[in-house]
Amino acid sequence: MSKQHMIGVFDNEDDLLQAIRKLKEKRANIKDVFGPATNHDLIKAFTRESLLPFLAVLVAIGTIIGAFAFLYYTAVIDYPLRYGGKPLFSFPPMVVILFLLTILVTGGVSVMAFLGRVQLFPGKEPVMIDQRASDDRFYLVMDQNFNPTEVRQWILDAGALEVVDKEVDFSLKTIFL
Amino acid sequence: MEHTYKPSPSTKVLLGVLILLGLIGLGYGFATDPARSWNNLLINNMYFISISIGALLFYSLQLITNSAWSAMFQRVPLAMGVFLLPGALLMLLLYFGLPDIYQWAVPGIAGTDKLIAHKQPFLNVPFYMIRIILYFTMWIALFLVMRRYALRQEKPGDLQSFYKSRYYAKVFIFVATIFFSLAAMDWVMTIDAHWYSTLFGFRAAVTSIYYAVAVIILFILYLNKKGFFPAMNEAHRHDFARYIFRFSIVFGYLWFMQFLIIWYANIPELTAYYYPRFVGEWQVLFYAEPLINFAIPFVVMMSDVVGRHKVVMPTISILLIFGLWVSLYLQVMPGSTGVMQVGIMELAVWLGYAGLFLWLVLHSLGRSSLVPSNHPQLEESIHHHL
Repeated sequence: MSKQHMIGVFDNEDDLLQAIRKLKEKRANIKDVFGPATNHDLIKAFTRESLLPFLAVLVAIGTIIGAFAFLYYTAVIDYPLRYGGKPLFSFPPMVVILFLLTILVTGGVSVMAFLGRVQLFPGKEPVMIDQRASDDRFYLVMDQNFNPTEVRQWILDAGALEVVDKEVDFSLKTIFL
Repeated sequence: MEHTYKPSPSTKVLLGVLILLGLIGLGYGFATDPARSWNNLLINNMYFISISIGALLFYSLQLITNSAWSAMFQRVPLAMGVFLLPGALLMLLLYFGLPDIYQWAVPGIAGTDKLIAHKQPFLNVPFYMIRIILYFTMWIALFLVMRRYALRQEKPGDLQSFYKSRYYAKVFIFVATIFFSLAAMDWVMTIDAHWYSTLFGFRAAVTSIYYAVAVIILFILYLNKKGFFPAMNEAHRHDFARYIFRFSIVFGYLWFMQFLIIWYANIPELTAYYYPRFVGEWQVLFYAEPLINFAIPFVVMMSDVVGRHKVVMPTISILLIFGLWVSLYLQVMPGSTGVMQVGIMELAVWLGYAGLFLWLVLHSLGRSSLVPSNHPQLEESIHHHL
């Protein structure tokens, strides 16, 4: 499902950064930014609030509880075997397993959630704004806006090479479907 | 804008009062309970020497990793190394109280204790004193050399002394980590002469940076409040907060590994160290140690936004300053006096040492420009941002 988008073309990230700051200040709707390279300022100016850290904390707490239940079940209830004169339920040796499982599961889930969120997985057909987006041009893709002529002027003022209107299909397409 | 810090007269009076308080506490201690006082001296020597070594290690780390963000603050950790000079004298002073601290230094112990007799070639008083002199000669020589090259950078266009600083930083990292590990084993671990842990020295050397960073943070925030470091911003605080956070994990890891392996192996001569701490009257401190040094900093510093907050950072730093004392108290006291006595005397001696430390460091900071004005990475440090 293609939609009409306004696309600003830039040849360096400083102008792009200026445009993003201006558009954010004027509350225009930025859809996405494409480019061959990035820098920290660009990420900071464009980034939207991410829920990934909270997801990671939740998964970590869940893993600790789950792994603890599992260890308690195996060591005390299901197969109570006393070794080394230690009590059946002893916390110190569990710490290492809890620690490692938490890191493993949280890391894995976070990566998967991130890749899913940014739709980066094998078989996905990439959205290609233009062939030059993988070469030396930066693209600023705008959503539907309240005042297209003003937005166009702001982008051009910031130093864009050109502003084009183009139909872009952002819907998820894979080779499987 | 002033570039040189001069402690105000009221600060000097306050620090003088602290030192006096420490002397009174120490005098009272020696009059009532000499053994307790000698052990307090050892705790506080170890405390402030480890902060000095940690600060110099931090300084060296910044140099060898080319960390430009901290270039502006480098004079602060460098000045903190100055406590090594009185530290050497205070360690040598322990000569008169060795039997009160170390079981192996009690005359005639080798005749009754087989294990100590076996360790006698290493654990004897003359060699112990020689080792102290050896350690401090190396550290102080390297400290003075590093300080000389750092101050030489004041001359414009002298890049050569920057390279020299970096070279001696590399030397210092090796010398300090290896010999501070040995020193920690010598001074603290041999109190329990029958016990040993190969992790002990490494843990002392690595966590020294942890506490040193906490003290550096307090110094820098204090100086910033006085109007110095106007370029300090969120990004610098963020980097300091990350140091605390990372090292809290290192501390937790090392603390727990030392405990877990001994708990698991269940070898009597090793568990003899943990048993009184684990179930005896020291239990509160035993659990307080990882709570203060690991759990609280870890949870609080986890979020970047909270960690670099101007109130949270000094609070955690002060907590860590307390945590190092708890940690050392728990390492020294159960093996030497064997009774838990925490009173006014402990506080007074610590305050006295803190006064001496602060007085020396602030005085040393005032001897040169607070910001290394010709440091090649200074501009990058000033414009550091997230």
